[in-house]
Amino acid sequence: MSVGDANARAVPSKRQGPPYSDGTPLPRDVEPDQVSETRASILGDLSELVRELIAHRELLFQLTRRDMRIRYKQALMGVGWAIIMPLVVILSGWVLRIAFTRLANAPLDSGIMAGIAVKSVGWAFFVGALGFGTASITANLSLVTKVYFPRAVLPLASVATQIADGSIAAVALMAILPFFGVSLSWALLWLIPLTVVLIVLTTAAALLFSCANVFFRDARHLVQLILSFGIFFTPVFFDASAFGGNNTWIVMLNPLAPVLEGLRLAVVAGQDLAVPLVAPDATLIWTPWFLVWSGGASVVLLLLSSVIFHRAEFKFAEYV
Amino acid sequence: MSASRTESRVVFEHVWKKFRYGEVHDRLRDAIPALVRRLAGRTPPDDGLWSGEFWALRDVSFAVAPGEALGIIGPNGAGKSTALKLLTRILRPTRGQCRATGRVGALIEVAAGFHPDLTGRENIFLQGAIMGMPRHETERKFDRIVEFSGIPLFIDTPVKRYSSGMHARLGFAIAAHLDPDVLIVDEVLSVGDASFQQKAFTRVKELVGSGIPVVVVSHQLEAVASLCTHALLLDRGRVRMHGSPQQCITAYLHGMAPPPDAVTGEGAVRIEGLELRGTEEVRSGEVIRAILHCTVRPDGWVEPETIVLRIRSAQTGECVFETSSDRLGSTLPALGAFEIDAELQLNVPAGVYMLESAVWDQQIGRSSFTGPIAYIDVRGGDEFTGPVQMNPRLTLTAREDSATPRMPR
Repeated sequence: MSVGDANARAVPSKRQGPPYSDGTPLPRDVEPDQVSETRASILGDLSELVRELIAHRELLFQLTRRDMRIRYKQALMGVGWAIIMPLVVILSGWVLRIAFTRLANAPLDSGIMAGIAVKSVGWAFFVGALGFGTASITANLSLVTKVYFPRAVLPLASVATQIADGSIAAVALMAILPFFGVSLSWALLWLIPLTVVLIVLTTAAALLFSCANVFFRDARHLVQLILSFGIFFTPVFFDASAFGGNNTWIVMLNPLAPVLEGLRLAVVAGQDLAVPLVAPDATLIWTPWFLVWSGGASVVLLLLSSVIFHRAEFKFAEYV
Repeated sequence: MSASRTESRVVFEHVWKKFRYGEVHDRLRDAIPALVRRLAGRTPPDDGLWSGEFWALRDVSFAVAPGEALGIIGPNGAGKSTALKLLTRILRPTRGQCRATGRVGALIEVAAGFHPDLTGRENIFLQGAIMGMPRHETERKFDRIVEFSGIPLFIDTPVKRYSSGMHARLGFAIAAHLDPDVLIVDEVLSVGDASFQQKAFTRVKELVGSGIPVVVVSHQLEAVASLCTHALLLDRGRVRMHGSPQQCITAYLHGMAPPPDAVTGEGAVRIEGLELRGTEEVRSGEVIRAILHCTVRPDGWVEPETIVLRIRSAQTGECVFETSSDRLGSTLPALGAFEIDAELQLNVPAGVYMLESAVWDQQIGRSSFTGPIAYIDVRGGDEFTGPVQMNPRLTLTAREDSATPRMPR
């Protein structure tokens, strides 16, 4: 190829001004209106997300390990933090409860204390996972803008880290519960579905808020509100049945409420959650429909937030 | 050769990518109009763009087959980084399709996943996972990665205590052991010290030679010239040229310099024309004549001006030789037209060279006039190979004890 040919085709570049503000017409080989953005189906999106996650399971594992390691490196308390966080929640619940029972001159039994402890561990897990999960994508900016991987592993790793922490706290709790008169029962098997629902719900929230945080930085403030004040709208320090009659349903509309109440009833009271429970004054304490509602809502939320996340994740690198 | 082997593994089909100027809508105030437009099904007014948007890539198409290496070059803002991010799937095209099949090994931001608090060992596994290596594979390659990085002593030290060179070397070592199906190389060849750079370059060459498709994005034109089989010249999002690396580099450098006919400047001396004699077929070591036709403006001050001839490699953009009218030993005429006849012995390796002319103002210390440019295509000669001609003087002295010549093989 001769040099003259190359010269003829080279065009001197004007390097000032916005690109193509010079009114260069579009080449006609592609019509501008011919938008080839393919609209995938919801099922297609979900299966794509799951396939990608399975292919990158090693990354999920490594990121979880990284998050755990850096939490405990150069830290005074080390693994102790897994216990300290829920412990603070438990203690504040107890302080509150003792103060109120003194005001009302009501009796305070060890069952109430144990109930608060069980629910606090669940709440601490939710709060921790949501907090770290929301920040997970913006905190890993350098990765998100430079390397491709399914972005969902970031909030999922935050949740997984909290599952590990929560397990440590749960084991510690199991060790002290017998001192509060809690004994083993078959009802403890309910822990399995309850934990699953809790993890599903937490994952859904972490996916949704981590994604929202990329586009709207005020999502962080909303999450901060949930983390600080959500405990007053969730039966952690009080019982869902505290408002009498059928008002329990209103409390239980919060999908996290049936999970925490279920944990308390199954662990502390040895209650079979398949059986409804009504107090002598006709106050509804428990019905299996609570769990059906919570589980159903969690699954729907997880599917919804997964689809939203997957559709949005390809814009992360542009928006963060 | 099987069908899958011959199939292109990197394909760009009419790829368009749109970005926004300034801040992307991060508030509901901006998001709502956009949503309304979308719901109303309105199409953008002009050029497929709403106000505040621009095309970073416009209708870019190319394919890289196994065994080919494509170099993407162009000035800043040409869309190179965007193309790279589309290839590595960090971004998705606005229109069109792009795909890279198989495991994409990207020698880009090779240490992006490092966490400062983790040790080198821990980071190898983390970075490996980020790049898509299963753990057993990382375990198997661990020793080789450490050896390649050249920092075995510090492998259990947190990365935050590493020097920037160690950091980059470890990152490159991991990326270099990925065994990719498709390789994408950014400006990472400038990692570490000279010996590590050499090692890195050799490794990239090895990967290029291993028959996988390779895409190189670089401002280092020498690297593109020596690594690539093809090149793509981008300018403001558009493909300006798709051809051999030499062609594209020449066009790129040419595009940056003023075109041959555009002569500009305020100097008293103007170079009106540049004429080359004997350039039909120049070989290394041969002599060419360049004749510069100059005029002097009547109101100018000629005294401190000299005429400069510069030879620039079109492959690398490097200036390989410069001379000036100072060598004449006399000052330029104060008025009228004159010619300067320069004989140049092209003791340069084969390649395309640009002959630039300019007027240098010694008073202000910069060129006061940019003259015409000519291109010289130098073919390989028999005189020498290598970057410089050393005019060797070889002599042979036979000694008595070597009187019996060996049998020629």
